[in-house]
Amino acid sequence: MNSIEEFNKKQRPGDYYIKLNSELVKLNEKLNIFNTISQENISSGFLFSVKDNICVKNVETTASSKILKGYFPPFNATVVERMKNNGFSFLGKTNMDEFGFGSFGINSEHIAKNPFDERYVTGGSSSGAAAATAILKYHIAIAESTGGSISTPAAFCGVVGFTPTYGSISRYGLIDYSNSLDKIGIMARKSEDIKYVYEKIRGPDSHDTTCVDKKCTDTDKKKIILIDQLITGLDVEIEKEFLLFVKKLENLGYTIEHRSLPFIDKAIPSYYIIAMAEASTNLAKYTGFKYGLKNNDFSQQYNTFFTNARENLGPEAKRRVVLGTFVRSASVKNLYYSKALKVRSLLINELNKILADGFILSPVMPIKTPRFEDTNKLSPLEVYKTDMLTIPPNLCGFPHISFPYSYLHGMPLGAQLVTKHWNDTAIIDFVSKWELSFNYDFKYNLGVLR
Amino acid sequence: MKIGLEVHAGLPTKTKLFCRCTNHSKEPNTAICPTCTGMPGSKPVLNNSALKIAFSISKALNCSSSKTIYFERKVYFYPDLPKSFQITQKECPIGSNGFILLGDKKIRIRRVQLEEDPAKILREDGYTLIDYNRSGRPLVEIVTEPDIQTEEDLRMFITELKSILYYLDVDVEQEIKADLNISLSEIRVEVKNITGTKNIIDAARYEIQRQEKLINENIPIEKETRSYNEAKMATISSREKESDEEYGFIFDSDLTVYDISKIKAIKPIYASSMAKEYSQKYGVNESQILEAIQFNKNSLGFIERFEKNYKLKNILNSISLLQRYGSKNDVETLEKVIKIIEQGHYPDQKDIQAIESGKEITINIKVANTQEIDKEIRSMIDGNKNLLKESATNKKALNFIIGNIAKKLKVNPRLVSERLESLLSSEHKVQ
Repeated sequence: MNSIEEFNKKQRPGDYYIKLNSELVKLNEKLNIFNTISQENISSGFLFSVKDNICVKNVETTASSKILKGYFPPFNATVVERMKNNGFSFLGKTNMDEFGFGSFGINSEHIAKNPFDERYVTGGSSSGAAAATAILKYHIAIAESTGGSISTPAAFCGVVGFTPTYGSISRYGLIDYSNSLDKIGIMARKSEDIKYVYEKIRGPDSHDTTCVDKKCTDTDKKKIILIDQLITGLDVEIEKEFLLFVKKLENLGYTIEHRSLPFIDKAIPSYYIIAMAEASTNLAKYTGFKYGLKNNDFSQQYNTFFTNARENLGPEAKRRVVLGTFVRSASVKNLYYSKALKVRSLLINELNKILADGFILSPVMPIKTPRFEDTNKLSPLEVYKTDMLTIPPNLCGFPHISFPYSYLHGMPLGAQLVTKHWNDTAIIDFVSKWELSFNYDFKYNLGVLR
Repeated sequence: MKIGLEVHAGLPTKTKLFCRCTNHSKEPNTAICPTCTGMPGSKPVLNNSALKIAFSISKALNCSSSKTIYFERKVYFYPDLPKSFQITQKECPIGSNGFILLGDKKIRIRRVQLEEDPAKILREDGYTLIDYNRSGRPLVEIVTEPDIQTEEDLRMFITELKSILYYLDVDVEQEIKADLNISLSEIRVEVKNITGTKNIIDAARYEIQRQEKLINENIPIEKETRSYNEAKMATISSREKESDEEYGFIFDSDLTVYDISKIKAIKPIYASSMAKEYSQKYGVNESQILEAIQFNKNSLGFIERFEKNYKLKNILNSISLLQRYGSKNDVETLEKVIKIIEQGHYPDQKDIQAIESGKEITINIKVANTQEIDKEIRSMIDGNKNLLKESATNKKALNFIIGNIAKKLKVNPRLVSERLESLLSSEHKVQ
């Protein structure tokens, strides 16, 4: 079943929503988009799905980790509460890399496949969110990004992915990966939907101290800055397509400027040190004791008990816990963690200077969407390096948006636009203008409007 | 000998440090929420009232503070810690470099930090229970420099600290918890998790004797962590090694950086220095004043209210009479009692009860009559000549006479004492 027309032909009056729901379950079996489907019927127009690391009251929330099997949060994340209060219907939880640890969506028990071509990855870590957005017509995905988890899958699945300024959307109810980097964001098929939803869910929350509201001065909306270090070392075809896109923008009246920031290559090590250090503290609570997968054999010593429970973490999670614990330890803290924090604040200063003049544009990924078998050939370090374009704005908490700018061999290509803190709507508006001269393609258009 | 202390005291807030659960629950596991049980997705939000009290404590202990403070995660694995990390302060405590004065001695305070309490572990026979009511309650940790040099200093320090905390509304009835550092040589031994003032002092005494014995026998003292066994009244090696290395402290970015420069600290009250001042001002025994006010705000309030109108000695006696016999502790009753004592009478239990019930009490009290007192004293002396001889050397015997007469005549013992003194001196002259 490829389209809403085909889907509608099979509909019998009366069982519309339920049917849709069960069809989605079938789709789920095929594409592994959803971890769980809400028992609630779909009762109103727009649906929203929620990345599996965001709490929905009484709905199993596992961050795609075996260790959280059976965790039914007794509360809604603020973002879920606000979506519901604004008339959106909760559809289900979307698949992801375990705890958000991954760039391709493959660090999960069930792996989501790319709706454009199932041989390809969806990108991660918000893999299910991007796939669902590429399949469902009237749907908003609430996703989350720490180092590129919205931009990357949005680019690979050909949808619009928006990551706001750090702290503009409440993280209450988010299962933490790295508290100083995690940002809840939005995926949709159109930028105007993102703008609408963003206005509804952003703003201060008494449950999250870091969630605030600030204004910023206007920037030049017509200047695009390319940072040399971010557009070198790209896949040859990506480079060619991206430069064509830049030409198009020039023709549309944008001015293009080149800048150099050699220091930006320090973003990757800085990001991974901070992210892993914080992750290793956040994952410490999963001891098989109080929530999630429980071990009821209390005959062991508590240290053995905790160690056995943590066996249930996936390999990438274990890697990050070990590395993160190491960089926090007192004797090396100044060599790694403290340095990484310094790099972050230096980078914020440097990028702020550039962003005062205009938007920063780059591809989302330096590589083409990989096939599943390609990812096996990459070492963890090579995978981390593919995040070189998404990490700088994520590390610095700058708002950024990923959107399709071209199609190559039938697969979408995504670009990423970055702006300064609290200038979020400017980049959404930029994409809206782009959408006037470029049509997005979707293979699936499932879904209904009431 | 060097003794250092790390004292933990719970703060008198309505709610916990990072959530809105009540701080005063009784029934186990009733005051809990996603935050204080560490549920995935929950977030801490700082209780500003705890921040203010902790800041006030640090100011009361003469600490200096930086403009801003923040919190860190201290990671360790233990069943009482639901997040497997404690939110505490390491790099940037709420106060540092303070001191407490014990008379002329200065005990330096290294730091005061604000942190959350872990859950309570109840070890039963064959199983263990956890009460999360305590998880997330606000604590201050007060760390001293190793400036305490004797057991008596240790006792005085703890009492003084408790008195300062008492006047900042800290519930000092709840036993304080402390870690002790004791070194008689170069080697530092830590005794962890001791509950209650008596146990802290007993543990210190045991540890001092243990180390003295080792030194005398030329056995090297081991640098180690020990625990205190209340039943055996002894410290026992814990065989646990902990270091900052393993805690891996990092900034807790779910919380922000807090500006404390504009917090108005609650004004501290130092009962010991007030006792000294009153003693010098009115010539009343310092320890008697201190005893009355060290852990009693009411008494201090009474003294402050009446010191200009009545003799301090009489105020103190009235306070102690009311504490012994009274059921109310109000200012009106107290003033009535003071007035009676000022007139030279000494009310007993019945009188106090009568005053409290609002009866006219003059009927119960005879007018003081020095002749009557003198007569009683004489008959007492005449009946027991030895008593008189003894009284020259035995103060107790004298007090016994005074007490008996005061009771019999319902007069102020001070009055009896004065009469007795003048009579005795004249007796001595005669002899």
